[in-house]
Amino acid sequence: MAEATAPKPSSSVKLVLLGEAAVGKSSLVLRFVNNDFQENKEPTIGAAFLTQKCNLPTRTIKFEIWDTAGQERFASLAPMYYRNAQSALVVYDLTKPTSLIKAKHWVAELQRQASPGIVIALVGNKLDLTNEPSNSSNALGEDGDGEAADGEDADGDARKVSTAEAKSYAEDEGLLFFETSAKLGTNVTEVFTAIANAIPETSLKGARGPGAASGTAGRTEEQSRVNLTGPRDNASKEGCAC
Amino acid sequence: MFNLSSLVQKAQSLIDPMQALNISPSDRNPAKALLFRHQFRLPDSQTPLQEITAELTISPPITYAPNATQGEKDKDRERGYHYAGKLHLSEAFLCFSTQPTSFLPTASTSISSGYTGQTHGAGPGGNGFTLPLCAIRRVERLHSQSYQFALSITTWNGISNIPSNDASKTPVYQQKITIQLAGSRQACERFCDGLKRGLKSGVGEVGKLKRVVSECYSEYLLQGDGKKSGDPPDAGLGMLFRYPGDARKLRDRSKMRLWGEYLRENGRNVTLIRQPTFHKLIRVGLPNRLRGEIWELTSGSLFLRLENPTLFVDTLAKFEGRESLAIDEIEKDLNRSLPEYPGFQSEQGIERLRRVLTAYSWTNEEVGYCQAMNIVVAALLIYMSESQAFFLLSTLCDRLLPGYYSTTMYGTLLDQRVFESLVEKTMPILWDHLVKADVQLSVVSLPWFLSLYINSMPLVFAFRVLDVFFLEGPKVLFQVGLAILRINGEELLDATDDGAFISVLKSYFSKLDESAHPKSENAKLRAVTRFQELMVVAFKEFSGITQASITEQRNKHKDAVLNNIESFAKRTSIRNLGPDSKRLNVEELGALYDRFYGILYERQQRSQIIQEEMERRAKASRARAAEVVTGLAERQSIEKGRVGLGPSPTLMDYDGFREFLAGMARWAISDTPTPTEKDNPAERERHSYFGSSVRKRENSLSPWGYGNPEPADHEFMRRLFRRWDVDMNSALTLQNVVTGIAHIKGKGDIMGSITYFFELYDDDGDGKVDREGILRISEALLFLSRRGLDGSLTPSTSMTGLSEYEAGNGGAIDGPHGSTQERFLSSVSAFIRRCFEYADPDHPQNQTSEDSKMNGSADTNAFDIGEDSDDDHEEDLLDLGTDASAKRGNKSTGLPSGPPPSESPNANCKQRNVSKAMSERANAALDPSKPLHITLPTFRMVVLADELLEQFFESSFPASFRISEKLATGPASSSSSLTTFSSIGFGRSTPASQAGVGGTGSTGLVPPGKGLRGVLDNIVTDGMRVAAEVRRRMDEAQKELEKNAVQRPEEDDDEDEGYDGKGPSGAYGGDAERRSVRSEDRDLLEGADAEAGSIRGQEGISEVKQGALSPKVTDSHRARSISQASTATEKVVEFER
Repeated sequence: MAEATAPKPSSSVKLVLLGEAAVGKSSLVLRFVNNDFQENKEPTIGAAFLTQKCNLPTRTIKFEIWDTAGQERFASLAPMYYRNAQSALVVYDLTKPTSLIKAKHWVAELQRQASPGIVIALVGNKLDLTNEPSNSSNALGEDGDGEAADGEDADGDARKVSTAEAKSYAEDEGLLFFETSAKLGTNVTEVFTAIANAIPETSLKGARGPGAASGTAGRTEEQSRVNLTGPRDNASKEGCAC
Repeated sequence: MFNLSSLVQKAQSLIDPMQALNISPSDRNPAKALLFRHQFRLPDSQTPLQEITAELTISPPITYAPNATQGEKDKDRERGYHYAGKLHLSEAFLCFSTQPTSFLPTASTSISSGYTGQTHGAGPGGNGFTLPLCAIRRVERLHSQSYQFALSITTWNGISNIPSNDASKTPVYQQKITIQLAGSRQACERFCDGLKRGLKSGVGEVGKLKRVVSECYSEYLLQGDGKKSGDPPDAGLGMLFRYPGDARKLRDRSKMRLWGEYLRENGRNVTLIRQPTFHKLIRVGLPNRLRGEIWELTSGSLFLRLENPTLFVDTLAKFEGRESLAIDEIEKDLNRSLPEYPGFQSEQGIERLRRVLTAYSWTNEEVGYCQAMNIVVAALLIYMSESQAFFLLSTLCDRLLPGYYSTTMYGTLLDQRVFESLVEKTMPILWDHLVKADVQLSVVSLPWFLSLYINSMPLVFAFRVLDVFFLEGPKVLFQVGLAILRINGEELLDATDDGAFISVLKSYFSKLDESAHPKSENAKLRAVTRFQELMVVAFKEFSGITQASITEQRNKHKDAVLNNIESFAKRTSIRNLGPDSKRLNVEELGALYDRFYGILYERQQRSQIIQEEMERRAKASRARAAEVVTGLAERQSIEKGRVGLGPSPTLMDYDGFREFLAGMARWAISDTPTPTEKDNPAERERHSYFGSSVRKRENSLSPWGYGNPEPADHEFMRRLFRRWDVDMNSALTLQNVVTGIAHIKGKGDIMGSITYFFELYDDDGDGKVDREGILRISEALLFLSRRGLDGSLTPSTSMTGLSEYEAGNGGAIDGPHGSTQERFLSSVSAFIRRCFEYADPDHPQNQTSEDSKMNGSADTNAFDIGEDSDDDHEEDLLDLGTDASAKRGNKSTGLPSGPPPSESPNANCKQRNVSKAMSERANAALDPSKPLHITLPTFRMVVLADELLEQFFESSFPASFRISEKLATGPASSSSSLTTFSSIGFGRSTPASQAGVGGTGSTGLVPPGKGLRGVLDNIVTDGMRVAAEVRRRMDEAQKELEKNAVQRPEEDDDEDEGYDGKGPSGAYGGDAERRSVRSEDRDLLEGADAEAGSIRGQEGISEVKQGALSPKVTDSHRARSISQASTATEKVVEFER
């Protein structure tokens, strides 16, 4: 195709962030969009809207991010925001087990009510509050550590949700899974890149760049990407060029 | 002709009250008291008592001269300002407004709501005043020729500065206004009397007033220039951390001067008189230090504070150290509320915010805390004290932003919908564009409304919006929102997605302080800022947006919005019901959800109506002049409980549970026909005929609601309730109910069902059910089956055991159909017998050899029956029993052996069966002095030994919970099926019951004092029970028949499809016979009657036992409940008038 000569195809992807209050949804976005962190971020009222581009080797994805309010009573507003979303980031706080329960509720809600084929990533945020060595390079390298951290509350480790628990849930439900720290920036861009990679090309709406109409090549490519567990490692290595 | 129409009218007025219970309050006109409070921003305690047309004259205080002659005074008044309007009196306020309004009961609502139209910047109160009566120092009647009836009012203006020793020497602060009343002398006198009374009761409040007023900055401001004493009152964090914006640019100083002048002339805080200048001063923006006070005044929160000045402090003290979900949520947000304002980077600011939010969450636990409140309160705290902010927040939540911060945020969603429809109406092109581009307007506008533009616009401008908002009300939010879209219309039309749309508005907000016309030649035009332009557009171009139009729109969209929220809540709730819910399908869960919340909602409505009525009556009985008006008090609160409106009840108590079951299972409907009857046309007709006698319509307000069948109350239901109530809070959540039902219905296997039933009766969970339990189980089986059995109970030919047994006794049965009920009854008696036969003794050491033998054989039998259904064997067993009955039965129970005369051969044989079964049960081996129990395997075995019981547990018990299908609960259906069943039971059971009860009588086994327990301890107990049950049914059949004969000659038995019971024809066939039996045996059967009463007894079993043998008690009880219902009805009727 024309990829070598023409600029990379670019398309926009609607992404919605959901999760309990104060798990760090807005902070994740702020880290992703501005590479910044605010200690006291105002709570999101309704929802905030931000955009950020993500460059993949073959295409550019422009994320239209809807960052929603987390308080329980705002939940009834959520359908307004996840309407037509192609991807979702469901965030929990890995120091708060209840936030994972809420996250599961959101996953269930999305799976039934959001557009079919929505790519969902489960993200455990506040990794900085655990005393595990934060490894920003590998998204999945903590299986062992996670188990070790299970129930371990001593020496300042605030982790209450083990990696293994969340991960196995994510696998059962076919979700992408990451543990992040918006404060330190750990794994943040990786999450978005992985989502970008996982978006099936056919579901890309009104792409504004050239080559929006995907050819046959695009379709085969997409098929390989639908398999969410496959390309994840690649994705995180590619990184986000933004 | 005239008579007829008046009759129709009367009939309608009688029917109406009942219908009114079902209409939503939004259909009704808003009550005048509510409008009155809204107009003058008064607390909820106020109602309009008096009103009169009047002219207000304000003479400038400077010209006041205490020694002037009458003529000079008149002149003064002429020189002052005159306003024509209405003077209103409430319990504690005297209000005057130039807005044409009337809250008289006779006035139409359109007059009352006149002020909700365009108010031209004056706000709903118009020009005039809202004087707390305690702020009035003196009222004089002016005797003057030029005035017919005039009052001169002196206020406590500047009360906090008046030296306490000699107040009269400070005329500078004296504020005097004159009001000329226009109306008949009588009307004027009446008004004055009311005023006098109000003034008297207001005297005690002066202390409060002084305290409240001293916290107002205006008091400090107006202290003699240059000689200010003491610290200024708290005017917000701004005093410590600077107010936002550049004071010079805001021209704060000159604003302050203008305000000082105005307040000096027109009174301050509580005594302020609203003149056009007041409204203009607000429009140009309030000066920093007065902002909080004026907000408090214009929003009316000042009057709340006046009502209870210490509420804030008291609340904090009362709940100190307590924790709540709201507090957790508040803590999360404290550090993130206006974090860019220095005051909220300090501990002091954070503390204030924490205290206000926490105190409010305690006073309004339904709202608790909602994100965005933190931002709003933080903004308020810049300009006002904590206490002021607390009351203003409460005014915001209750009145200005209704439902915005509720747990469902329905107010927010509703106003978004209203906003969208206003955009569609006023800017159709933009709206079309939004629709085409698939941009959802509310994603941008929602934060505007929810946080009052505070985090959308730069703070200084947001506060300007707030200035007007507090004066004029919620419509301001809409006007400003529309103006924003109008001004940015061109650019917005270019935006094709959410992102572009948002960024257009973002950049607009950031440039609000720039010139709106930077390129204009005209310097004056160039000086107009974008914000000024926005205000002009909002209030000029969209002046047509009034409170009335918003209310109208809200009413229009309310249902749709609530339905949306409710369906969302339902979806979410169903999805989160946990693993047990997976046993039911989504439709079933949905139906359960609807049923569960439907019942909670209805119950709440009913209790509310009843309670309100009680309150109203209590109030009315105090006999005050004001009653007529009070009757019209708002009834908005009736809406409470709807899921979409916010926190609704989530727990179902036992009564609710009964109602819940009654809507689902036929057996859960009470046998007392009272409340259901009125659905039948004959009854209803009677109601309207005797309409004037309220007592006749008692049923419309039965505790179970109009037209609902009364739920039964049986021990089984109690057990079920307890079993489902896993959290032991004597109430069920939806989760409990779903889990409970899932366990019964979801398993689908008979073993699970049997185990479940057994466990229900295994009180201590030790795997044993004792004698009492066995009897209770059989009672429950009869209870559950008394309206027929659900599911596929096919009397198949394979039911050899039972049919052969019956055949063997020479009785031809009614055929495979129709006898199911009957056979079930005998199955139950056989069940009891077998239970006792195979029961294990509790104390092995006491065991007789016979018992052990029996046990042994029982065990082997269990195997045989379970595995083979060996007919011969079974018959053997029964024969053995028969022998025993012949001897022991007669001896111990004194059963009359001769069949009663009126018996058909058919019944005869059945009677023998029953009596045989009874006597078997009377076996001495079952001596009650030897405690025994059955275990689950025994129970299982006994159940499986009988095909009917087996089928009952396999299908009909689970099937009796009809989740999805609408149970036809019409009285006709329930009674007809009852009739059918009873008629079946009748033919055969009459003799049995006779026999049983006869035995009771003759042997004197039921001493009245001993109660049912005494009966149980007797050997014949179980037989008696069956007999009594049978007797009860017979009785019901009788009643039913009599009733039918009178009211319902034609009755369809469609409801009987489930079990193909005998139609009414059968019932009628036996009519004469039944009647004769009944009259003959009435006396004898009193005991049984009472026993029947016990089945639907009200309280615990023990009480039932008491009542069981004294029909009087039951009767009086019933009578009481009827009288209760009747009073309730009366209430509603009066209420609706």
